[in-house]
Amino acid sequence: MISMEMASFPFLTVLLLTNLVALLVIMFIPPERDKLIKKVSLFFAGITVVISLYLYVTYDTSKGGLQFVERYLWVKSLGIYYFVGADGINLPMLLLTSVVLFTGVLTMWELENRVKEFFAFMYLLVIGVYGVFMSFDLFFIFVWYDVALFPMYPLIVIWGSTRKEYGGMKLTLYLLAGSALILPAILYLWTKSGLNTFDLLALHRAGFTKHVQIIAFVMLYLGFGILAGVWPFHTWSPVGHVAAPTAVSMIHAGVLMKLGAYGILRVGMFLCPQGLQYWAQLMALLATIGIVYGAFIGLAQNDLKYVVGYSSVSHMGIVGLGLATMSVGGINGAVFQMFSHGVMTALFFSSIGYIYDKTHTKMINELGGLSKIMPVASAFFIIAALCGVGVPCLSSFWAEILVFIAAVKTYPVRGILAICGIVITSLFMLRVVMKTFYGPKNEKFAHIPDVSLFLASPRIILAGILLLFGLFPRLILDVIQSAVIPFVGGF
Amino acid sequence: MFTKDPILLACTVTVVLPFLSFLTIICYTRKWERVSCSISIGAILTSLLCAVYLFVATRHFTEPLQYRLPWVISGKTIIPFGFLVDHLSMLMLVIVAVIASLVQIYSLGYMAGDPGFSRYYACQSLFAWAMMTMTVAPSMIQFYIFWELVGLASYLLIGFYYEKWSASQAGKKAFVVTRIGDVGMFIGLVILLLYYGNLSIVDVNSAAVAKQIPVPLITISAILIFCGVIGKSAQFPLLTWLPDAMEGPTPVSALLHSATMVAAGVYMFARLFPFFAGSEQALQFALLIGTITMVLSSTMAMVARDIKQVWAYSTVSQLGYMVMALGAGGYFAGMFHLTTHAGFKALLFLCSGVFIHHYHTNDFFVMSRQGARNLKVPMVCMTIGALALSGVFPFSGFFSKESIMVALAHHPNKIWLAAGLFGEVLTAYYTFRLIFVMLFPKEIEDHGHHEEEHHEGESILYWLMGWPLIILASVTCVLGFFEKQFEHYLFADFILAHGMEHGAEAAQAGGHWLTITAIVLVLIGVAVAWLEYGRKGASQEGFLSRMPAIEKLFANRWYMDHFYRWALDMIIYSGFTNIFTRNDRRVIDGGIDGLCRGTEGSGRIASFLQSNMVQYNIFVMVAILGFVALSFLG
Repeated sequence: MISMEMASFPFLTVLLLTNLVALLVIMFIPPERDKLIKKVSLFFAGITVVISLYLYVTYDTSKGGLQFVERYLWVKSLGIYYFVGADGINLPMLLLTSVVLFTGVLTMWELENRVKEFFAFMYLLVIGVYGVFMSFDLFFIFVWYDVALFPMYPLIVIWGSTRKEYGGMKLTLYLLAGSALILPAILYLWTKSGLNTFDLLALHRAGFTKHVQIIAFVMLYLGFGILAGVWPFHTWSPVGHVAAPTAVSMIHAGVLMKLGAYGILRVGMFLCPQGLQYWAQLMALLATIGIVYGAFIGLAQNDLKYVVGYSSVSHMGIVGLGLATMSVGGINGAVFQMFSHGVMTALFFSSIGYIYDKTHTKMINELGGLSKIMPVASAFFIIAALCGVGVPCLSSFWAEILVFIAAVKTYPVRGILAICGIVITSLFMLRVVMKTFYGPKNEKFAHIPDVSLFLASPRIILAGILLLFGLFPRLILDVIQSAVIPFVGGF
Repeated sequence: MFTKDPILLACTVTVVLPFLSFLTIICYTRKWERVSCSISIGAILTSLLCAVYLFVATRHFTEPLQYRLPWVISGKTIIPFGFLVDHLSMLMLVIVAVIASLVQIYSLGYMAGDPGFSRYYACQSLFAWAMMTMTVAPSMIQFYIFWELVGLASYLLIGFYYEKWSASQAGKKAFVVTRIGDVGMFIGLVILLLYYGNLSIVDVNSAAVAKQIPVPLITISAILIFCGVIGKSAQFPLLTWLPDAMEGPTPVSALLHSATMVAAGVYMFARLFPFFAGSEQALQFALLIGTITMVLSSTMAMVARDIKQVWAYSTVSQLGYMVMALGAGGYFAGMFHLTTHAGFKALLFLCSGVFIHHYHTNDFFVMSRQGARNLKVPMVCMTIGALALSGVFPFSGFFSKESIMVALAHHPNKIWLAAGLFGEVLTAYYTFRLIFVMLFPKEIEDHGHHEEEHHEGESILYWLMGWPLIILASVTCVLGFFEKQFEHYLFADFILAHGMEHGAEAAQAGGHWLTITAIVLVLIGVAVAWLEYGRKGASQEGFLSRMPAIEKLFANRWYMDHFYRWALDMIIYSGFTNIFTRNDRRVIDGGIDGLCRGTEGSGRIASFLQSNMVQYNIFVMVAILGFVALSFLG
């Protein structure tokens, strides 16, 4: 049984409130003072990093279970609780969110258009994300989930580029279709349990019949899966990435897509283990198709952001494959992949953002030879690409290797296909690196200065994290594992 | 870290220093070239000292020594990081450290003034780190990890002149092609892990494997793991990346071709030799691949005009020899050839580097015309290297090739021996073709002014580059005489799991006729080369030029590159990528957009029911009510 330890100090609530306070403070700053707005945003983002890092470090892996728990009854008649806690699965996600938020704010430092609204919406988005990650109450998970989805639309449509109306609309419709599947599934489980509670742990013990689990799981899987970019519901994601402004792409690919995978894991798999067993074959199949398919399409793209978008489809496939193995190794790998993919794509988009700001293009054909012009800025993209390729000593490698070992064991054919997919991944990643950064330098961009240390700082942080967890994977795997072992024990 | 065990400490220092040097150069000292190269060279020299210390300290050990820490713990899978200290790994460690140090010192001269000087030394450090950590890996997972990093480092070094398209293409090609082999290797390792539950090298090599896993499964996983060797050691059919890898700076080629990248494949084969020996089919497969590689690449070398290309093809063919030796059960022969080859191949490349640096061309016909033979030190050293390569007594290559021939002669099927001997002729021919052309140019252009132009700076550089050559050349001259000690050393802690014995007594079995045949064949090869290229008034046109079809076949590398290009275009780009992209745009996106349009359209139709015309609205109301009434009635 999952142990619970009440918080001595409401860290998680403080973490959530920090963002809310940030949002309110930004609202009260006059819009002309955009430097101040940025500084305030950075300050609060820094606080979230500190809090989540503190939680991450002080979490006791030997005890495991839920820690820093706060649980209050909110609506008695419906059994809604304000129930937040942290365990080995959501701690890395909270850390990821703070890091991406912090680096995202830094990346947008040169934003000039409607600064106030941008950061306000960004904080609103992040509140939802934090809420989903820390809540253990289905009602709250759903509410926060929708809070996180809504600001995407204005963020893309106002500050975006390349077919932004289409991209924003598509993304919103897709994701709302996802929540249209999640809500009935949640209500279905709520009614079937007969416990009159939305408490996730209580529902876990409810003992749903196999039939109920099968129906609920597939709805949850598809609903959350849309957000996780599960094939064939992935097309919103590359389009959305391309349309979104840099920091939103970072949060979107880095954190929002993880929200989907996290939902599958935390709600779907946790409440309906038998449903998972019923649908696991399909999950593994879709994930494998996603891995290979995403890589192949990435090979044909000509827009840097599309390339990264399709690589996300491929990499999120690895998460799906890991989850579908239902084993400790596979889920460890999947959660690790969620984290490192988040950091990696944030690094990707942050680098692309700089390139796009300076060259005003993100078309591979029009670029070329950038390494000569901005060696430092290019190096970070190349590091991200190498991480995507799965080069050892960058964190993705460990995640992939764990998932693949587990996958070959459970689904030999699909596992081997997925492993072969990494050849294609390396082909398309290196193709992009070559065409964009190598070759003779393009005189058109020769005047562009290399990135300054301050502007490079978000990328330094992200690349440092990739390298840190790549060299010392136990720093994160031990935390993840402390939650995954009891989780798998519940199957 | 602060351990009392000197061996552990030495291992740690050897492995960690180059990595620290890499990080320092990348993060801090990119701007200061002198600092960067001092850090890198200091690190590799310290590593070399530690490696030599380890080699000496462990020479009497009869049991492998292991140190391991859990690097990753995930469920039941534990991936350790650590060191395996035994004779094979220590030997390899010393070879790698020696070659890497010499190459780095040599590069001081060769890379002087290059804008990417610091980056170059950073990559060199990365390479040394990856290679040395791989060498001492106690488990196959660690081995695989650093194996991949070796691939990464060579990607960075081959594509070092990234402004040239061809260089970055070549880097990409090297990475992707070896990746194909690595995928096979990884699958093989996972199969082994799942069935055997353990990837510690000592355990995998023990006899317990055969008891626990059925032989067919051993064969499958051994062949899959061997795919890694095919990729890394540029064996057929993945050999096409290595000739392209010439795009890197010449010292990099020296490093890649001698002791590191390509040798890694052979080293893995030797590392897991007892495991491979558990499956007769796997060894046969290796033998076949090695032989095809050896013959194919020798033929390619016969027509190349680029000095580095010739040595590149010769590397591939020598690697083929090593794989053949190991495939035929000649564990010692393969490793011995790896050692001698590391020496003389590094020598050959470094010598060519001096020529290329001096004459700014890769074509050895042109070099020769410009008076290449006036550069005494590299010319003499290169001739020594060439003699060793073609297996002339008393140079190191002679001894190691002889032991390979003995191993092949030991094999029941004599066809491999015949192929091996045939390869000797080809090797001698293509090697001396180059040497004779360089030594005896047809006409000499006067390039006296060239010498004087930058005499001052050049001469320091020349000697910076010269010393490593002299060291390597002297090693090449004497190494062969240590064959017995070498054999004794390698077998001291080697436990053959499957009762295959190919020790000293096997050497006698071959008899003297084999040695004599080999010498005669080498002489024939040299003689043909002499007749065509060396003697006074020689036409300097090979006999192959009379057979244009064959010459074209050889010059185009048996059309393997064309085939791969075609396959890549047809299957990947026009095939899957195209189909999937269309599917994404038309079917998936098209479906969704269609759905949206459908919703919009039906909304528009429904909106007609709500127009502003009162009569029309009333008409609709009446009609609907009529329907409702009818349905109640019915």
